[in-house]
Amino acid sequence: MNDELRGTGNGEGETPRGSAPVANSGSPVPRSPFPVSSSPFPIPRFLRNLTRHPVRNGLALAGIAVTTAMLLNMVLLAGGMERSFAQLLLGRGYQIRLSPKGTLPFDTEATIPGIGRIRAAIAQDPAVGSVAPLAGSSLYGRRADSLVTLFGYGIDPAHQALYRLERGADLLPGDTTGLLLSEPAAQLLGATIGDTVTLVSRLDPQVVVAGSTRRLVARGVVRWLYDYKGQPSIGTALPVLQDLAGFRAEDRGSAIVVRVNQDEEVEPTTARLRAAFPRLEVNSVADLLVHFRERLVYFRQLSFILGSISLVVTVLLVATLMTITVNERRGEIATLRAIGMSRGRVIRGVMLEGAAMTLIGGALGALLGTATAHYLDQILTSFPGLPAAISFFVPHTASLVVAGLVLTMAGVLAGVYPAWLAARAPIATTLRTEAT
Amino acid sequence: MIAVTLLAALALVTGDSLPGIALERRTAATLDARVGDTLDLALEPGAVVRRAIVSAIYEPTTDPSTVTRRDLAVRFHLPDLSALLGAPDRVDRFGVALQPGADPLATAAALNQVAFGYRAAPSAQIASESSQTFRVVSRFHAAIAVISVIASAIFLLCIMLLKVEERRRDAAVMRFTGVRRRTIFGALLLEAVLVASLGSIIGVVLAVAAGAVTNSYYQQFFATRLIFSQITFGIIRFSVLLSLGLGLGAGALAAWRLVRTNPMILWGRG
Repeated sequence: MNDELRGTGNGEGETPRGSAPVANSGSPVPRSPFPVSSSPFPIPRFLRNLTRHPVRNGLALAGIAVTTAMLLNMVLLAGGMERSFAQLLLGRGYQIRLSPKGTLPFDTEATIPGIGRIRAAIAQDPAVGSVAPLAGSSLYGRRADSLVTLFGYGIDPAHQALYRLERGADLLPGDTTGLLLSEPAAQLLGATIGDTVTLVSRLDPQVVVAGSTRRLVARGVVRWLYDYKGQPSIGTALPVLQDLAGFRAEDRGSAIVVRVNQDEEVEPTTARLRAAFPRLEVNSVADLLVHFRERLVYFRQLSFILGSISLVVTVLLVATLMTITVNERRGEIATLRAIGMSRGRVIRGVMLEGAAMTLIGGALGALLGTATAHYLDQILTSFPGLPAAISFFVPHTASLVVAGLVLTMAGVLAGVYPAWLAARAPIATTLRTEAT
Repeated sequence: MIAVTLLAALALVTGDSLPGIALERRTAATLDARVGDTLDLALEPGAVVRRAIVSAIYEPTTDPSTVTRRDLAVRFHLPDLSALLGAPDRVDRFGVALQPGADPLATAAALNQVAFGYRAAPSAQIASESSQTFRVVSRFHAAIAVISVIASAIFLLCIMLLKVEERRRDAAVMRFTGVRRRTIFGALLLEAVLVASLGSIIGVVLAVAAGAVTNSYYQQFFATRLIFSQITFGIIRFSVLLSLGLGLGAGALAAWRLVRTNPMILWGRG
């Protein structure tokens, strides 16, 4: 009896290839080319299996959904910041930044002397398409009888890399009486396009006078690309800002940005500029991303750790559930093995069931993860001083595909142990136990 | 702080009349400088060089806001830095100690009325503004923790249900032999509590170990003594109570379903 139930006499319980499996009665069991109708684990069957224990399977799917949501969030977080930062840096097409030695652009109040001379020298490089000198400094704007604190940018209107015009008119080259406002600055000053705004700087508390005062006309409202949310910023022609900030005497500026005509020329041009200006910090966007990555290493590592934990929890959940499910169905599986079902089919069926559970839970988790990513992004983008254009959770097709494949693989792997348990169960003993 | 780029080069000469400076430990390590060494200092490459003698090497205070910046810090006596900057009698900020009982808010308001060119603010307000970064990080951690707790809770509920369901046949045998439903329910509940308790203990041990690894790794990575992971009694109490509560709830639910089921069905013959 036992030998018969063990199958075909090859000791493995497998049905020989090419022959029809033989049941106890000796009548052949037809082998269908469509496993849907003959396998104990056809797709409709193992989907139906998921409805056998609605509470249990519902909880498992909810668990997988939450862990998948966490995995999705961590995948988005891991690379999202860098992608968002790169998009921001390349927003105006300038690929190289020059700043004072040892600093990053606008990271400190350090400045570069002789910025006009340096600009002219860089423009000589045949690969360079545009050079934009920039200056930045704290200023004050007069509103009624009080002063409000502003951040001022000095730009060359013909080569600007810092803003997008939202309404009104842009500064024209040589316009030394015009002013650009951010929306928060316009609100703070109570100014609209066409109004005259008084800017003062270098206030001296001892003699109660300003070092410099300029009256400028608001030409337009712009969105400064690197401003944090609500930052009141204004922009003027570079010489005007230099006057206000006291940079004029030494022709100082905060940074120079360079646009290279061909993308493949960026790194060679960066190297040439580095050699030509050893007293400046020369960084391509790729170099800046490295610095950015170093500063946000905590979030990348956190996303890696939490993503890994999510995967492990998913595997544990699916493996536990499948193991208990297989144990409950030992009799059913043994019966099917006894009438000719091969071990391979049993293993495949259990693993498919695990994968199906993971995929269904994963699909729910993708929806949940999208919502939680939006919420988490709102939290992290409220970092003080962070450019408003930066986002932490940025979708990336390749990363999402890899995450989906890894999740599917995890689901399949989670079924390995229960599948092995199902396949190795002794048929006769199991049937005898089930019968008693 | 005045934001300047100080370029320092080590010059192995001595000079008794040179101004003394203190180097942060990491700055000293980067420059391979020791107490007594002389440094050439300049505001930017090619600028006029000033010399200073290293009179101390100090360990920086643990400041989470600067830990990822990895700036190299040097401390000067105020007149020495003013001279180096070419900005005599200028400072970035004053600290003002008030007489006992003086109201910081009212004093700051009064100082702001005196002149322009500065802003007076109570230390508590500055501390609140500068800790905004950590509040954001805390909110992010709290949100992640909520997701983790939900995932763990579901996982725990699922496991407890499965654990009790595994005892179907045992429950059937007990019912056949005349054991009362209440006794079976109590036994299953006790088992659930024991499993949840054991899991909680293992979880606390794992968390403490993971926290120690986290602290050790990040303290070495950022060369700081900051504490990155702190497992407080409150956190342990919350986690253990949540775990026990969920275990108990899930165990009770599963046990209740089990004892209400016909023993023949539990035995698989119903």
